[in-house]
Amino acid sequence: MLRYALRRIFGVIPTLFIIIALSFFVIRLAPGGPFDEDQTLPPEVKANLEAAYGLDKPLPEQFVRYLGGLAQGDFGPSYKFKDFTVTELIAQGLPVSLMLGLSAVLLALLVGIPLGTLAALRQNSPTDYGIMAVAVLGIALPSFVTGPLFALIFGLHLRWFPVAGWEAGEYRYLVLPVITLSLPVIAYIARLTRGSLLEVLRTNFVRTARAKGLPERQVILRHALRPALLPVVSYLGPATAFVITGSLVVETVFGLPGSGRYLVQGAINRDYTLVMGMIVVYGGLTLTLNLLADLLYGWLDPRVRYD
Amino acid sequence: MSAVLSIRDLAVRFSTPDGVVPAVNEFSLELAPGECVGIVGESGAGKSQSFLAVMGLLAGNASVSGSARLGETELLGNDREALNAVRGSKLAMIFQDPMTSLTPHLRVVDQIGESLVRHRGLSKAQARQRALELLRLVQVTDAERRLDQYPHELSGGMRQRVMIAIALACDPTVLIADEPTTALDVTIQAQILALLAQLKRERGMSMVLVTHDLGVVAGIADRVVVMYGGRIVEHGAVKDILLAPQHPYTRALLASMPRIDEVGNAPLQAIGGQPPNPRRLPNGCAFHPRCALAADRCANERPALNVAAGRAVACHFPIRVDAHD
Repeated sequence: MLRYALRRIFGVIPTLFIIIALSFFVIRLAPGGPFDEDQTLPPEVKANLEAAYGLDKPLPEQFVRYLGGLAQGDFGPSYKFKDFTVTELIAQGLPVSLMLGLSAVLLALLVGIPLGTLAALRQNSPTDYGIMAVAVLGIALPSFVTGPLFALIFGLHLRWFPVAGWEAGEYRYLVLPVITLSLPVIAYIARLTRGSLLEVLRTNFVRTARAKGLPERQVILRHALRPALLPVVSYLGPATAFVITGSLVVETVFGLPGSGRYLVQGAINRDYTLVMGMIVVYGGLTLTLNLLADLLYGWLDPRVRYD
Repeated sequence: MSAVLSIRDLAVRFSTPDGVVPAVNEFSLELAPGECVGIVGESGAGKSQSFLAVMGLLAGNASVSGSARLGETELLGNDREALNAVRGSKLAMIFQDPMTSLTPHLRVVDQIGESLVRHRGLSKAQARQRALELLRLVQVTDAERRLDQYPHELSGGMRQRVMIAIALACDPTVLIADEPTTALDVTIQAQILALLAQLKRERGMSMVLVTHDLGVVAGIADRVVVMYGGRIVEHGAVKDILLAPQHPYTRALLASMPRIDEVGNAPLQAIGGQPPNPRRLPNGCAFHPRCALAADRCANERPALNVAAGRAVACHFPIRVDAHD
């Protein structure tokens, strides 16, 4: 297991490098630059600015310099938020985004797996149909619909949670955004769990477990559920990507000071370093969660560890 | 001697989108202590389904009627608790396909140990010790190391031995072996059968051996039940059935066995036609379309299972041979 884990961890590094390299050059393909907006600057001033940030150097050289900074944990200065470094900007927004995203994934697992299991065990009963109907809705409704709806019902009418906004350390501000963000993931995980558990319940080894006279609960929890969760674990990677993009919308709907807005604003402003910083962080996050999923996979299915 | 397992009028039906399919009808069997009964027949004859029904392991769309008692316990009632109390302890089963019958993510020791923990209340350490003894009993080499291995690290024969160890864990009074050697290669088959025969002898266990191989039955069974189209067609002591079959189907089955003493390239004898589709069983005797001795009566009237002189046959025109040695 340890060797498997190490091999996986070292596999992440080249992937991250490719992500960085690709995005670095692709951003530069977009027309315009960080100092082209608003009032047109005199050419000399612009040249001076570009020289100050090293933007006048050939692209490969800029890339090497960027990597050098990155290796020391320096994301560089923001071109638009002129008093801030990218590191500072990310440090402001990321904790909120991380808390939102990770809570959403966690909630999705905690709710989705039991719901899917329940639906599978009561296959073709009203419980099953009910859960699956809600799941279809959860997948079909986009969060810019459910978000305002929840804010209206639970925020304005029932007054259970704040409609929007953020105060450090006040977790009640996170409740509605987390539910909004996790709803489609809950739905998807419930469907995945149901389908794969139904399949596993028909396997020979579950029959063997039943033949041992084990209580049904033990047959499910010990023998059936672990292999049934393999597809759910594979989905964790895409789920992370979904939650990251989804958090852009949810952060806007609920007015959360997350880092999602920096990605959008950075891209519009051609704030190269800010966009790169966000890509490195989100890319690293996605890779880490995929890695975690891989390791979980190896734990769930011992056959994966030996390839 | 009173029977350890007594099955009366067992019937199994499957409801499918195309209607109800009868898989087993009027199946009755008494199993004496220490006895081994072989159940033979072609695929789809209802052999496995009968005993999966007894174990309560049929698919969700099956319905079962009749009675099956293990000692005082009715197995076909709807009392899941009572069934779970005997499955894996007094009544155990080994299956056809050892490659897929073990849970892939659990170590051998846990798979053998869990019925001991469940039925005997052993601690984990005690269960481990007992699992090791069981692995040695079923002649698994390097037993100590195997305990902590996963199923995918074992060969097919080894996995079937582990399955047998699981079945034997709580000293069952009845062991049902459902085609235990079909998925294994020939030399391993012989080893597993010898092991089963030896274990049965040493422990005085009763055994049901479901198979389509009459050679296997000849080796270890005391009695044989021949099934066709979901019903028992012939039933008797092994010697009587193998040497003097009365049902034309049994005779055809025996004739289709390749013989090692026939030199040359004599063609294999086959039974003409196809095994019947349980959805559309022929009227009368289910075997009549393939039977060389069939008459008009066979197509119209289903023969009852006639019991006489310690054997039973369901045929209008049984083959009578006076002396068979």
